[in-house]
Amino acid sequence: MRDYEEILAEIYQGLQDSGQDRASLTEDTELVGDLGLDSVQVMEMLLEVEDRFNISIPVNILADVVTVRDLARQIQRLTGD
Amino acid sequence: MGVEPTPTIHALPLRSADFSSLAETLDYAAEGETGVNFYTGRGELQAALSYGELRRQALVLARRLAGLGLDRGARAALVAVTGPDFLRFFFACQYAGLVPVPLPVSIRLGGHGAYVSQLRGLLEGCGAAVAMAPAGVLKFLEEAVGDRIALHTYGGPETFDALPETDVPLQPLRADEMAYIQYTSGSTRFPRGVVITQRQVLSNLGSIIRHGLQVTERDRCVSWLPYYHDMGMVGFVLAPIGAQRSVDYLDTHDFAMRPRRWLELISRNRGTISFSPPFGYELCARRVSEEDAARYDLSCWRIAGVGAETIRAETLERFAQALAPAGFRPEAFLPSYGMAECSLGISFTPIGRGLAVDRVDADHLAGEHFAQPADAGTARVGGFIKCGPPLPGHEVVIRDGQGRPLPDRHAGAITVRGPSVMSGYFEQPDLTRASLSEDGWLDTGDVGYIADGEVVITGRKSDMIIIRGRNIWPQDLEYLAEQQPEVRPGDASAFSVPRTDGGEVVVLVVQCRVADAARRAALVRRMHRLIHETLGIDSVIELVPPHTLPRTSSGKLSRSAARRDYLQRLEEAERSGGGVEAALGG
Repeated sequence: MRDYEEILAEIYQGLQDSGQDRASLTEDTELVGDLGLDSVQVMEMLLEVEDRFNISIPVNILADVVTVRDLARQIQRLTGD
Repeated sequence: MGVEPTPTIHALPLRSADFSSLAETLDYAAEGETGVNFYTGRGELQAALSYGELRRQALVLARRLAGLGLDRGARAALVAVTGPDFLRFFFACQYAGLVPVPLPVSIRLGGHGAYVSQLRGLLEGCGAAVAMAPAGVLKFLEEAVGDRIALHTYGGPETFDALPETDVPLQPLRADEMAYIQYTSGSTRFPRGVVITQRQVLSNLGSIIRHGLQVTERDRCVSWLPYYHDMGMVGFVLAPIGAQRSVDYLDTHDFAMRPRRWLELISRNRGTISFSPPFGYELCARRVSEEDAARYDLSCWRIAGVGAETIRAETLERFAQALAPAGFRPEAFLPSYGMAECSLGISFTPIGRGLAVDRVDADHLAGEHFAQPADAGTARVGGFIKCGPPLPGHEVVIRDGQGRPLPDRHAGAITVRGPSVMSGYFEQPDLTRASLSEDGWLDTGDVGYIADGEVVITGRKSDMIIIRGRNIWPQDLEYLAEQQPEVRPGDASAFSVPRTDGGEVVVLVVQCRVADAARRAALVRRMHRLIHETLGIDSVIELVPPHTLPRTSSGKLSRSAARRDYLQRLEEAERSGGGVEAALGG
């Protein structure tokens, strides 16, 4: 299982690479609500996460991902398998 | 793994769905070697199932379902995840005399609650007796059922596979019985279940196979379309079985994430027929690099069908240009017109022609409802895609506001009559009467005209919004807004406007009394998120002062007037140099 802080840092980096302001990102940041990601950007973010962590994200877990923290926890679970 | 895809060519003589039931349709396909193949997002073949094997498994399951002692025609709600289980259950229902109802897999970021209530609404709407969801999605189904809905049995595939097989003789659904119920929008509050009989769907399948696509013994289908959409289910599950062709499937979600997999699959397996709403072509055009295009060989792609939403030539031309190095031929584009209410297909353009744009005087069309062909002196030209002549046996008539037929090139309500038109909306007699006349004319809700014998669609008469091939009801969007503490009932109006890069975007205009800028911004963000979670679409949210939204003389909100006012505000903001942002209260 990968370290939570390490995963978090990579998510921040990924979001920063796609044009988000690092200073405004926290674990509580809502991906759609706060960052205003549209549906294509959500797909691009998930693709990036899959490639970066070499995981396959089952679609059903997305239903419970609202914040950056939710996403990091799911990735941690998936990399632990 | 050693899994091999099912073959394209086999010895079984091609028949064009000339059967009396879907059960018989699979019986015949099962005599050949073709079947269905499922690919992962990484492009690996995960499972292959010949139609013979599908039939064998469906019959076993049908004998288990028959043992439940359900009424004939009882509904079986099936969460339609792309995969062998859905197909097995769908056909088990056919053999066991139950009516399958595909339910959507509309899981969005943060959308847990919204999905559960959607499932609950649909289970109630179709009066399901049993329900099945595969692993991963089962927890949502379980939550939706809870202790509020009384089902005979529900669970994952294994729950049903554990039932005992009975030896009572199976009585498959017959020609005049329902084939399935197809829900046409994701609406939780306004579900519309289209009832299609065996005879209706088989008539449409036959026409599509023989005339629309002229399927041959060398054809192979490729699809990422969801099974809960008419194009995915009727067009790429039932039609291939009706013509005994193999299909390669990619899950819809995997396609959305990696659209190039679709092209890779066509290239690798030598696919000849594949359809998509325009946005699918757009996604690919955006992602495909020159190196990608050089790696594919799409010269095999005979029919690149387009439908389910407004077609704009520019989007498709970009795709054709990007994929020209891969051997993609623009003549392969086959615009079509159809809807679940007519099983699937209404009209198809002639094979091998590609896009044909009817260029007309846009001002004349808007003012006089007549599509005057444009000439050198036309000030404003509008281009509309010609969608081909109606399928044999189907009549398309354009009508004025009083229901009187209009001559060629006169724009009006598009109405359709023919053997593939639905029986009605499930247990919704009022809705059915509003769409289907006693003498069999279906009011499509679309507006258009006939030119040179071909159907041309110019817009929509009803307020329904179509985004990425999906039907969205404005009432759902307005309801979401009205649920917010800052918003009162009757303070929201939803519609769609064209995006600059093609396609449509939803606009929600909301009357808001809150003055504080931070609270206004928070409201906009929250609604944007809720719409995303519930419907999976992007939206523009405009906050306006009270009494801004226009009303009709009877005091009802008018969406078309709200849309007109919005576009006017946008135009004024652009003219005054304030930019689009200034016009949006967010």
